[in-house]
Amino acid sequence: MKKLLTLEINGERFDVAVSPATFLVDVIRETVGLTGTKKGCGIGDCGACTVLIDGRPTLSCLTLAVACTGKSITTIEGLSRGTELHPVQQAFIDKGAIQCGYCTPGMILSSTALLAENPSPSEEEIKHGLAGNLCRCTGYVKIIEAVKHAAETMAKEAK
Amino acid sequence: MHGEPFGYEKPASLREFESLFAERGEDAKILAGGTDLFVLIKERLLAPRLLIDISDLPELRGISYDPGEGLTIMAGTKVAEIERSALVREHAPALAFAAANLGSNQVRWMATMAGNVCHASPAAETPPVLLAHGCELVIGTPGGERTLPISEFFLAYRKTALQAGEYLKAFRLPPLPARSAVAYQLRGLRRAMEIDMLNMGIYLELAADGVTVSDIRLAMGSVGPVTYRARGTEQRLKGMRLGEEFMAAAGAGVAEEATPIDDMRASAAYRNRVIGVLARRGLEQCLEQIGKGRGEA
Ligand SMILES: Cc1cc2nc3c(=O)[nH]c(=O)nc-3n(C[C@H](O)[C@H](O)[C@H](O)COP(=O)(O)OP(=O)(O)OC[C@H]3O[C@@H](n4cnc5c(N)ncnc54)[C@H](O)[C@@H]3O)c2cc1C
Ligand code: FES
Ligand code: FES
Repeated sequence: MKKLLTLEINGERFDVAVSPATFLVDVIRETVGLTGTKKGCGIGDCGACTVLIDGRPTLSCLTLAVACTGKSITTIEGLSRGTELHPVQQAFIDKGAIQCGYCTPGMILSSTALLAENPSPSEEEIKHGLAGNLCRCTGYVKIIEAVKHAAETMAKEAK
Repeated sequence: MHGEPFGYEKPASLREFESLFAERGEDAKILAGGTDLFVLIKERLLAPRLLIDISDLPELRGISYDPGEGLTIMAGTKVAEIERSALVREHAPALAFAAANLGSNQVRWMATMAGNVCHASPAAETPPVLLAHGCELVIGTPGGERTLPISEFFLAYRKTALQAGEYLKAFRLPPLPARSAVAYQLRGLRRAMEIDMLNMGIYLELAADGVTVSDIRLAMGSVGPVTYRARGTEQRLKGMRLGEEFMAAAGAGVAEEATPIDDMRASAAYRNRVIGVLARRGLEQCLEQIGKGRGEA
C-alpha cells in the first residue's frame, strides 16, 4: 500500500505517494524528477547516490523515502545559487576534476559536507572524507586538488 | 534487485517502540542505519514483513561518562558520532579509531554500533575493541532490562544472545584501571571501505611493579565464525613479565587459537601468520600508551 508523504528537497516541499519499500534515490530521480543524483551499485559501495540529509552525507540507495519526512534533503541541484555555481562545483570544473561526470554529484556533496565540518582539510582528511565515493575516470588526483582549491576559495569568500 | 515489499513503522518514543516490538517482534526487524539490513534485503537474503525504525529515537542516542560507571554509548548513536566524540577519544581512543575505520563517511553517518554488533559478522570493526574493553551490553527486555558481558553475546555466525522481544539498548565500557590500555589493530587489502581480512582488540594491564602482566584480553576477528577471545593464551600470559618471551608467547598463542578459513580475502595460513604480528603490535601500542599515561601522572 502506498503512503502519502511530504519530502523537503532543496528547500522545496514535494508531496509524493510511495510504497514504504521505496528507496530515496528512486523517489528523487523518478517521482520528483531530479536526475542529478545518480544510482550506481545500489548497495552502498560507490557513493554515486550521495545526498545530504540534515547536512550529513547519506546514501540514498540505502535510505527509505518514508524515513525522510521532517528532514531536509539536499541534492546536487540544491547547491547553486541561481545561475551561480557553488564554490565546490566551480572548483571541480576549474581543476578538471570531472570526466564522465557520473561520480561528480556524489563527490561534490561529500566534499561540501567535509568542508562544512573542516574548512581546511589536509590531503589525508580529504581522502578519508571521500573514500566512499568511487571514480572510474579521473584517478582522484584532480578531485583532491579541486577540494583543496574550493577550501581556499571559500576561505577567501568568508573574509 | 528489490526484495519483497515490507511495512514500515517509526515509533515516536522508546515506550511506543517497546510495545510495538513486543506485539510485532516475530515478523519485524529493527531498522537502525540500514547499512547491513538493506544490503541483505536487496540481495534477497532476508525478507522481513515489517521494519521498525529506531533511528531517531532520542532516548537511544548519546554518549556520556561517569568516573564510576565508565563510558555509556546508547545503541542508536551513529558511528560518525563515536568517531568524533571527545569522551570516546579520551576514554576509549581505540574505539574512536575502529569507528573511523568502519566503511565510508556516508556509511558512518548512517550506521550505528548496535547494528554493527547485532549483525554479528566475524569481520565487523567494533566487536574486537568492545571485547578488549570488557564491555557490558544493556539489553532491553519485555518490561525491563538485563546486562550481559559482550563476551557472551556472539553465539555463532550472525547469531546473537538476543532473545525474542529483546533489543540492544546501550554499551557500557568500564573505566580503565591504572596502568592499562586498549589497542585496535587491523589488516585489510586497501585502506578504506572494505571488510577486514583480520582485526584484533588488545587489552593490557600491568601490576604496580610496572613489568608484570596482571590482566590481558586478546579479541580476534575474521579468524572464526564469531569474534572471540584467545582465552587459553590470556591465561598463560597472566603473571608473565614483559619482554621478548612474553611477546613471543602472545604471538604464538593467538596464532594457535585462531581458526581461520581460506576465502577470497586471504588464505588461512597467511591469516595465522599475520594474527601473531597484530597481537605483538597491539601489545606494543598498549605499552606505549601506558608509558605516556605514567609520564603525565
Ligand atoms: C559500503 C559499506 C561499507 C561497510 N564497511 C564496513 C566496515 O568497514 N566494517 C564493518 O564492520 N562494517 C561495515 N559495513 C557494514 C555496516 O555498515 C555496519 O555493520 C553497521 O554498523 C551496521 O549498522 P546499522 O545501524 O546500519 O545497522 P542495520 O542495518 O540497521 O541493522 C543491522 C542488524 O542489526 C539489527 N539491529 C540494529 N540495531 C539494533 C538494536 N538496537 N537492537 C537489536 N538489533 C538491532 C537489525 O535488526 C539488523 O539485523 C559496511 C556497509 C556498507 C554498506
Ligand atoms: S548507488 Fe548508492 S552507493 Fe552506489
Ligand atoms: S568522472 Fe567518471 S566516474 Fe568519476
